[in-house]
Amino acid sequence: MNRATLAALAVVTLTLPPLLPDRHLATYVLLGLAATVTAGVSLLMGYAGQVTLGQAAFYAIGGYAAGLLTVHGAPTVAGLLAAPLVAAGAAVLLGAPLLRLRGHHLAFATLALQLILLSLLGRGDWAGGAIGLQGIPQLPVGGDLGYAYLVWTVVAVVLLVSHNIVDSRVGRGLRAVATSETAAAASGVAVGRYRLAVFALSAAFAGLAGGIYAFYLGYLAPGSFPVLLSIEFVVMAVVGGLGTTTGPLVGATVIVLLVQALNTLGTQPGMPGYAPGVLSYAVYGLLLVATVLYLPRGIVPTLTRRPPGGTS
Amino acid sequence: MSDFIGYLLTGLGIGAGYALVASGLVAIHRVTRVVNFAQGAFAVVAAMLTASLLSAGLPHGLAELTGVLTAALAGLFVGVIAIGRPGTTPGTSLIVTLGLGVSAYAVEIVIWGDQPRSFAGLPGVAVVAGARIQAHYLLILAVTGAVLGALAVFFARTDTGRALTACASNPYAARVVGIDVRRMGLLAFALGGALGGLAGVLTTPVQQVTFDSDVTLIVNGFAAAVLGGLTRPAVALAGGLLLGVAQTMLAGYGAGAYQLEAALVLLLGVMVVQAARRGPVPEAAR
Repeated sequence: MNRATLAALAVVTLTLPPLLPDRHLATYVLLGLAATVTAGVSLLMGYAGQVTLGQAAFYAIGGYAAGLLTVHGAPTVAGLLAAPLVAAGAAVLLGAPLLRLRGHHLAFATLALQLILLSLLGRGDWAGGAIGLQGIPQLPVGGDLGYAYLVWTVVAVVLLVSHNIVDSRVGRGLRAVATSETAAAASGVAVGRYRLAVFALSAAFAGLAGGIYAFYLGYLAPGSFPVLLSIEFVVMAVVGGLGTTTGPLVGATVIVLLVQALNTLGTQPGMPGYAPGVLSYAVYGLLLVATVLYLPRGIVPTLTRRPPGGTS
Repeated sequence: MSDFIGYLLTGLGIGAGYALVASGLVAIHRVTRVVNFAQGAFAVVAAMLTASLLSAGLPHGLAELTGVLTAALAGLFVGVIAIGRPGTTPGTSLIVTLGLGVSAYAVEIVIWGDQPRSFAGLPGVAVVAGARIQAHYLLILAVTGAVLGALAVFFARTDTGRALTACASNPYAARVVGIDVRRMGLLAFALGGALGGLAGVLTTPVQQVTFDSDVTLIVNGFAAAVLGGLTRPAVALAGGLLLGVAQTMLAGYGAGAYQLEAALVLLLGVMVVQAARRGPVPEAAR
């Protein structure tokens, strides 16, 4: 993406929030959060070449870290800083044994991690149990408009970090890992450490988004982080294009807007009560299948026709 | 002691369901190298359809058979989309089956709604060695045993079964001797669908089914199948039974709340140990 497009995008992003009605402003905030998490998924799937089906677990860990700290009296800024750190720490601890796994084994392992976490949160009284954690304070950013700017600043930072990693020496090493681990290892890339670092970084992105989510809603429950949410992030990453900097942003935008539009359609009078749910399941499922089969590199690489950044 | 026998038989009955899901995963993975994420959805579709047919007045047996055959068709359908296009890698196919599994939610909710469903199984209580258990558990065990036995004979003694095994051990050589590997892959998917469907219709009378039951089923089925490296049906059967018994024992002797965690931690442990033993990971097929 060239500088002019990038600048135009930044200007639109910054001028949009005050113009949006409240209902759409909320969507805008949640879209930014989804894009942040998806950026991590895209790094992990595009560069470590692995399917993760548990990214919402790190989103939840970040949210609960921020929520629990502030509910017990810590300042909100501390909670916001703790969210990515705790999530990354958890990723390092869990990733050390689990990243020996590849392909479908890792996919199921991450899914299992999330199910275990949800079950523990649902039963843990210290986390509010199934009812959830209530009364999380607001960040002092001045209401929804402030959150919108905060979230999109985070999106910009996350995309910048992704971009720099992709273009750096480390990024070239990662791309080598995604193409052939044996060849990468033979050329002196510390495969295990690189994979763990990407895993931790993607978890930090998810944790940071989770922390903001906790402050924004003021309430967390295990039910806010279903397995389907993890799958949504994968859908966004795949649709946008794995291993590209702007792919997560495009993927998240396309999916969130589409689901929002169908949601509006589904809640029209005369539509059955299950319509919004059904429509969103259909969108996630069918878009994933159609993209993987007919647009295997995703929207961004197909449109820009650059060589794929690691997946082939 | 009679408690123990009761838990054991109940656990075997529940484990038989996991074993059937696992066998379906293994049947598909052996031939196509694809891990079918939609495997749990077959069980849900078969169970929901059977519940509808039974309440519409169809007799037992016929309704269950229709459910299982429909699941086999669903399996074929998933297979056509997942491996139908030449050049689809197993990794891509996994994501396709994941997408189809999520799409299945939409279809299931439109047809059957989002409430749990169940139907009556074999009525009555059986007394085995002093333990009282629902008779239906014995039916589950008998049917699972018969079906998996028949399957073993099918793989070992029939031409089609041998062709499937040939594709599993060496697709290239199979193609050379004139076996249509793609058609065998689709057959494996249909077989996987039928096995998943059977798991659904057998276990629904003792545990309700909802549209999203597939996640638990697929995770437990995968845990069972992974013990045998996703290629050995007999180990998958043993794994499923072991998992079912372990969960029921945990539930029976106190730590009931943590049975899901126990199964998942077992899954993670087995995979990590297997990965460590395999040593350097072979290059993933892509």
